[in-house]
Amino acid sequence: MPVTDNSAGKTGAATGRTRASHRLALLTADNASVPLPASVQAITAILLAVLLIALPWLGLGYRFLSIAITTLYTAIGLYGLGLQFGQAGIMSVGHAALMGVGAYASAILSVQLGLGFWTSLPFAMALSAIVGGVIGLPTLRVGGQHYIIITFCFCALFVIVLTNGGTFTGSATGLDVGSVTPLPGINFDKLSNNYYLVLAALFLALAATYLIGISRYGRTLRAIRENEQLARSVGINVDLHKLGVLMVSGLFAGLAGVLQLYYLRHISPTLFGAFPSLYLALMVMLGGARYLYGPLIGAVIVNFLPEVLNLDPVDSRIAYGICLLLVILLLPGGVGAGIKNVYCALTGGSGTQTQGGGSNGRA
Amino acid sequence: MDIFVQQLVNSLSVASVTILIGIGITLIFGLAGIVNFAHGEFLMVGGMATWFMVGAGMNFFVALVLAGLLVGALGFAAERCLFRFTLNRPMNGFIMSIGLSVILQHAVIRVFNEFQKSITDPVGMVWTIGGVDIIAMRAIVVAITAVVVAITYFGISRSRYGMALRASVSDRDTAELMGIPVRRYVTGVFIYGSLLAGIGGALMISLFPITPFTGSVIIIRGFAVSLIGGLGNVGGAVVGGLVLGLVDGLSAGYGYPEWTDAYSLVVMILILVLRPQGLLGGTLGPKAS
Repeated sequence: MPVTDNSAGKTGAATGRTRASHRLALLTADNASVPLPASVQAITAILLAVLLIALPWLGLGYRFLSIAITTLYTAIGLYGLGLQFGQAGIMSVGHAALMGVGAYASAILSVQLGLGFWTSLPFAMALSAIVGGVIGLPTLRVGGQHYIIITFCFCALFVIVLTNGGTFTGSATGLDVGSVTPLPGINFDKLSNNYYLVLAALFLALAATYLIGISRYGRTLRAIRENEQLARSVGINVDLHKLGVLMVSGLFAGLAGVLQLYYLRHISPTLFGAFPSLYLALMVMLGGARYLYGPLIGAVIVNFLPEVLNLDPVDSRIAYGICLLLVILLLPGGVGAGIKNVYCALTGGSGTQTQGGGSNGRA
Repeated sequence: MDIFVQQLVNSLSVASVTILIGIGITLIFGLAGIVNFAHGEFLMVGGMATWFMVGAGMNFFVALVLAGLLVGALGFAAERCLFRFTLNRPMNGFIMSIGLSVILQHAVIRVFNEFQKSITDPVGMVWTIGGVDIIAMRAIVVAITAVVVAITYFGISRSRYGMALRASVSDRDTAELMGIPVRRYVTGVFIYGSLLAGIGGALMISLFPITPFTGSVIIIRGFAVSLIGGLGNVGGAVVGGLVLGLVDGLSAGYGYPEWTDAYSLVVMILILVLRPQGLLGGTLGPKAS
């Protein structure tokens, strides 16, 4: 992972990089990344889609499917974080709180007004997006680690507010909701149907991430990430772009939060506190925020690793920590970067360096 | 009035621990340029080590020194094996420190357990001064902190090493050309900050029980203190620690105790947004490359 966010005014004189040529290249064309051939991209996408759709029929059992649902809704939240970090270079360690805003908004609407899943979803997503934008306001002033600490504070504050919120937020015990309002012919009480609901949302998130990545908007975000001052000087409205991506990220977080709420049917403040937030950051780093499938890979590794290795919670957390250290030291671009580099080495193509710039789309 | 004075002394002793961790963070973040999220866990490890040694029959003050050294060694290992490789990419170092904090927390749970640990008051005396009862240990905690703060302050601002260190922060390349071994200074600061965390942990467990999760709570306060004061500014960390400790201590006595943690968070967000260089001025943190 490259040097991230420079806040205005302290751009990296400290790096030994020669910037001038680098800057132009990044603003004019996204040639730092060499996209894989379209056929490879399409094949990967189709294989992945088939695998995910076929998953409930593979007879892997109830527990496996439950973990798969958890993985998928986490991945939806991660795609938001992946966009803001991978494309715009704004890291957050309070992202679980943003999911919590969506989940609690939906739960409160359900408890107070009796709104169901489908009706409360747009409100919850909109609220998450707005909160994402509001928390994002400080990024316009401070950058880098300062902003990360702000997001962490927000996350801790959110938990305190929820815990002290009395019956409105259900205090420390949290809130309960019913099941997803059934669509004609589809009852979401059935686990596999719930899985398909979450999967559909994941496909939406993937498609949105892909489209943003190849769009002009995505290129502008990457330009801001690489050099904010230069981006500003060529007339890019940096503030608007940053707030925009944070709101999109909030939208994803809200969607993930509501899906989480209706899968668990019960939420409490600890689900959205510091630890889950740190884990989201871990997953996105682990998978590789700049790669289309990076967040999904990260979510799969973190959620399935303890299951595969049959670890108890304490050991699995130690394992996460060690994984994270190893990935950062050995594969700074995340596992996504590793897979792409291996693929490129095998096919003899010119792969992106892990440090190169924004490849969007591992395959 | 008596109650107020007692609250004041209590707040001061709580503030002492906060100041110790705040100074560690302010030095490591502001001068060495490393955001170490595992710093709170370093403190917790120091406390746990003290608990273990005191439980094995060791004198508290010997255990305090040993805990400081142990955590200093831990800091040395972390810097050499991990943070050294991410000095040019602070964001990666930050994420790595999160991983380290998860590892340390759960390693302690694995070795001991997740329940809270406490030791009996190592001094066990109460001084009555002017009709006010003061627990002796609390006064000793304040005194030890004062000594440590004085040493650190003069070390940074007056000594040759402190000067070289500040030179390395303001212009790393030139400092290197002048023959200052910048890397070694970074390691040194990291070890010193960790040592302070170890001492802070030992002092903390002499005041109240700690759990393996104490670190992740106290780290926020540490960041709050160092950011309020201004990164790299030892005096600022002391002021920040006092402000936060007094607000917390007094709000626990008079205000809404369930919102105690929220105050420091709100203060920190406001400071970060409105005055990122801190109230007393400091570096803006690691030069984001």
